Amino acid sequence: MCKDVNEYLVKLKKELAGCDPALIQDALSDAEGHLRMALDEALLGKPSLSKPEAIASIIGKYGHPEEIASAYRAIESRTSPALAVSREKETGSSWARFFGVLAEPRAWGAFFYMLLSLVTGVVFGGWALFAGIISVISLVFIIGIPIVGLFLLSIRGIVFLEGRIVEALLGIRMPSRPLFLDQNLSLKGKFMALVKESFTWKSLLYTALQFPLGLIYSFGIFLLFALSLSFIGSPVLELLFHLPLELFGPEAFTPVWFLPFVCIAGFFLLPLTFHLARWVGKVHGKYAKSMLVRT
Amino acid sequence: MAYTADANKKFQKELNSGSASLVLLSILAQADEPMYGYRIAKLMEVDDESVPMMKQGALYPVLRSLESSGLLESHVDPSVSGPPRRYYKITKAGLATLKSWTRIWSQTKAFVDGILKGKTDV
Repeated sequence: MCKDVNEYLVKLKKELAGCDPALIQDALSDAEGHLRMALDEALLGKPSLSKPEAIASIIGKYGHPEEIASAYRAIESRTSPALAVSREKETGSSWARFFGVLAEPRAWGAFFYMLLSLVTGVVFGGWALFAGIISVISLVFIIGIPIVGLFLLSIRGIVFLEGRIVEALLGIRMPSRPLFLDQNLSLKGKFMALVKESFTWKSLLYTALQFPLGLIYSFGIFLLFALSLSFIGSPVLELLFHLPLELFGPEAFTPVWFLPFVCIAGFFLLPLTFHLARWVGKVHGKYAKSMLVRT
Repeated sequence: MAYTADANKKFQKELNSGSASLVLLSILAQADEPMYGYRIAKLMEVDDESVPMMKQGALYPVLRSLESSGLLESHVDPSVSGPPRRYYKITKAGLATLKSWTRIWSQTKAFVDGILKGKTDV
């Protein structure tokens, strides 16, 4: 029998060993929030009740770690990541697979993630870099510590939001519950818990790196997408609208005999762009999971 | 005796796995405002104290599963008295699903009741 909430959480984590780390984080957050709320309510409502008695009764209703772990395992096995785009089975000839990427929601999800990373990279990464520098400078003053604490909390909020975007667009299971600090800790205790946890610093590093990564992703994918479309539309652009592609120098038109080749190259470059987006999405999803899920 | 207890537990678990989603959708459809997991669990406790339909902790993965199916939507709000809470609200798709699941439930219940009644009459 568990003596307190922490012991329950340790047992639940042990029971969930081998599960997706994001699921473990969610299950622990759910349990911690529920049990602490129930304990506070039980002790307030019946002050004569001892803490072990209250814990025993609460766990009896909530479920023992092995029961709850089995419930999470059972439901998770038939639940796909929230809003995640479906996984298609790659079938058909190599040509069909090559061009079929254009009809694949997963590739489009990764494509939009890379475009969106211009905004998220600048906003999230910018905040991590500039607010981080300001809070470090503020440490010289007495008000510095609360400012650093608030800054680190804001980074937790940002990585939770980023995790939801990653799950929705890249289809990687990420935590659906935000992390919280033990309400029973003093302000100093909360600050120390925040500072001591490696998750905080990994989150900060991830958010700061989103700044350059976001710029590379968005400009890279936009450039390839724009090139593909302009190559495909080159005959119309050059012959009908008299807009030179400038492949052979400034304001130079492409020779007419060469235009079909440019157009065909565009039809190949477009699926290649989406294959690249899907691959980047897959790699970035794994990277995000390793950085933004508490283990 | 131990076998009976285990069999009862297994039967209860099998029944719950199907009906938990229906119960949660129904509770959230009747709620005037979005509700968080602990409040839903307390409500179910009040509704049926004698036979706990399911462990309170098992509600949370069902809520997540319903949300990922688009039947519920949620948002996180900070709480003055504790950790941030995730509030759930039924969606239009959830209301439509609840309607059709309620019909299926009624048909199943009528069928099972009929069989059980028939057996006791014999």
